Amino acid sequence: MVWASWSVLVASAAIVVIVPLIMLIRTSWVEGRARLAELLTEPGFRTAIVHSFELSAAATALAVPIGVAIALTLRDPRLPGRAFWRAAVLLPLLVPDFVLGYSWLRAYARGGLTSEIFGFVWSGVQGPVGVAVIVAVSAVPLVYLIITVGLVTRAEPITERAAHASGAAAITVLRTVTVPLLAPAIATSAVVIFVLTLGTFAVPQVIGTPAGFSTITTRIYSDLSYGSDPQTFVDATTLAVLLVIITLVVLGPADVLLGVRLQQRRTSTADLDWPSGTRLASTLKVLILASYLIATACLPLLALLSAAITRAVGIPSTPANWTWDNFAEVLTPRTGAALGRSIVLALTAASILLVLGLITAAVGRTRPGRWVSVLITLTLVLPGSTVAIGMLLGYGRWLADTVVIILLAYLAKLWTLAHRPISAAVDRVPPEGLRAARVSGATLTTGLGTVALPLLRVAMITAWALCFLTALHEVTMSSLLYGPGSETLAVVVLNSADLGRVGVTAALSVLVTAVVVLPAVALWALTRRARA
Amino acid sequence: MSRGRGGITAFAVALVLLATGCSQPEASRAESITLYTCVNDTTVQPVIAAFKAAHQGTDVQLFRAPTGQLDARVASDVRSGGLKADVIWACDPLTMQDFVTQGLVGGWTPQTEIPEAVRTPDYIGIAMLYMVAITRKGKPAPANWKDLADTGKVAVPDPKVAASALGALAYFGTDFYADLKSKGAVQVSTPDDVTTGVAQGLYDAGMTIANSAYAAAKSGSPVTVSWPKPGAVAIYGPVAVSKTTENRQLAQDFVTYLTSSDGQTMIGSSGSYPTLPGVAGPTKPANSATVQPDWQVLASEKAALLKDYATIFGA
Repeated sequence: MVWASWSVLVASAAIVVIVPLIMLIRTSWVEGRARLAELLTEPGFRTAIVHSFELSAAATALAVPIGVAIALTLRDPRLPGRAFWRAAVLLPLLVPDFVLGYSWLRAYARGGLTSEIFGFVWSGVQGPVGVAVIVAVSAVPLVYLIITVGLVTRAEPITERAAHASGAAAITVLRTVTVPLLAPAIATSAVVIFVLTLGTFAVPQVIGTPAGFSTITTRIYSDLSYGSDPQTFVDATTLAVLLVIITLVVLGPADVLLGVRLQQRRTSTADLDWPSGTRLASTLKVLILASYLIATACLPLLALLSAAITRAVGIPSTPANWTWDNFAEVLTPRTGAALGRSIVLALTAASILLVLGLITAAVGRTRPGRWVSVLITLTLVLPGSTVAIGMLLGYGRWLADTVVIILLAYLAKLWTLAHRPISAAVDRVPPEGLRAARVSGATLTTGLGTVALPLLRVAMITAWALCFLTALHEVTMSSLLYGPGSETLAVVVLNSADLGRVGVTAALSVLVTAVVVLPAVALWALTRRARA
Repeated sequence: MSRGRGGITAFAVALVLLATGCSQPEASRAESITLYTCVNDTTVQPVIAAFKAAHQGTDVQLFRAPTGQLDARVASDVRSGGLKADVIWACDPLTMQDFVTQGLVGGWTPQTEIPEAVRTPDYIGIAMLYMVAITRKGKPAPANWKDLADTGKVAVPDPKVAASALGALAYFGTDFYADLKSKGAVQVSTPDDVTTGVAQGLYDAGMTIANSAYAAAKSGSPVTVSWPKPGAVAIYGPVAVSKTTENRQLAQDFVTYLTSSDGQTMIGSSGSYPTLPGVAGPTKPANSATVQPDWQVLASEKAALLKDYATIFGA
């Protein structure tokens, strides 16, 4: 079993991470090393590096505390409407990256929704602050999920109650018991958000570029756009390789050292909820949460919806200007086929990634295992376009134009998203429990199924859902890798974007959201009914 | 384990289905060519359909992506077994000239009445883009390009991202952009970003391509399209045949069709401006003047030009 796990892990890492990375490094070294010094000393390069790090630090510093606060708030079983809030917090995940920047501009900028309704314009949205805020709030659900997984697997209400009963104030309980127990989950979420932001592209491009705020990813895009000149193509691959090296230097030691120090062995508990505070405090928390969600999710989503149903950009979204034309243009057999293919691809990728995430988390306690977790983070930090180029360089000869190459790119880009939430929970699985099961005559499979999997259930669902949504919304990689017969939603999205049809693009994103939300709500309702 | 095994089997089945689902050669390889283009679906799909109708039993496989992705795809092809396209239809001559310089395309163009100004021995212009001014309703439309800076907050597209913007930069020169910048202009990514930004009211005016501006105006956005003097900057989209195509005859037939009266009429009726004189295209004001950058000079000086430009609108 251990041997088989390592074989799958090594083979997968070689196929989806090492080969594409080596191809990028090779291209950059063979064709670009003569220009390396020039590239490194360009003032624009240094600015882009600084901006990328500033953005990552700001987004992490904003997203992690907010995500932790929300997770701790929603832990309280007495919170009014808790089930609703738990779902509502995930709303920002439903806005696809390709319309995220636009939805915020449409909500808050000059001529936007708040300007139309309340006469309020947030001028800061069109600049670095706007980029950081948007990237952070779209990362909050991810932090929330990782922390919630941490709470499910790590919380010790008995210890918390004991501290409380011994006279400790709520804040002291939080500081001395809850947060230390959550340290691995908090560290995991911080690493994921930092790396994810280093590789983020859509929002810096749409909102940062007009404000003169360039990052490494926007520079890579700019070089690729100009890539008919072989030199700029090589420059783009060199920048991508440098981004990988920087991540390795920053993340590698932190991850490997932190991993050991944060590992804890504790027995699990079924008693998870932790009522804290008074009724008034609960109501206040709900009010703050509601305001936060209205500002960061409802308004941008509403702005998107209004763009989808309004006949033109720049006219008020009043009933007189409403139209179904944008949806009529979207609802074609071609979009249906592309969306269907995207859904199958996302389902397949998420399911394979779940297995890979579990295996990586399982071996993550060993030193080589921790290096594997660093290795797979390197493709998360790469912009989608360079992951796609790595895949084409590695496998284009045989797999170009097939869905298999798109699938490989998804696995490369999202492996860490599957692995990290599970790894934040996995050291909770008691080896003693497994040993006891084996000694009592259970097979290894039964042992894992009855001891380990129930503890990891929430982490696994989280990892799967994250990968599914991210793969479904993915545009950059598949738009470079598709071929006849393997068109994904991205191809349709980029075509409407190329035509400057914001309304149609917005209608597409509403459609994609509906495709995800409607089955999810139906499933939720069915599950509740079955339970009742 | 049975559940786990079942799951793995399901992945494997899904993979096989996905893999087999993508190999669908309707026409045999000898009757099929692959077209790489950055031209949007609105134009390219009807053109391909018309060609296939006129050439029964043939197929044109399409890879369509914005110029950046198209370039990256070509560059990756070159490094992994060679160019997979038989024909490339680009959106600007500089991109195509780079492909010619790399020995990927060229060496043949068909007999046609399309003007010499948009032809070289390696490729031929079959569609035009016009860089025009777009202003928010209520703001004065610039009669002359030099008035653009005074219309309010102006947005310009990035010449490193959009070749049409590079054409405009080559024509106007960096002083023009320095003036815009000193009066508060910003640089966005694509011409469509300019159109959307002006339509929403983020900017008062900007420089964008005619198709995008007229589409916004037609849909009801509060914008005005103008062709300031001395004229809209014209950028031609050329087509060329791959040097390594295995189906040269069909590739040449396709290019010949694109330059023919029928092909040009189809291009004109599907939203793009044709290059063959006398063929009708989308909206164009009466007596509209156009200007062209010197593409030959630009091909050799673009790096220096972009470096100068970068000192104005940042890196």
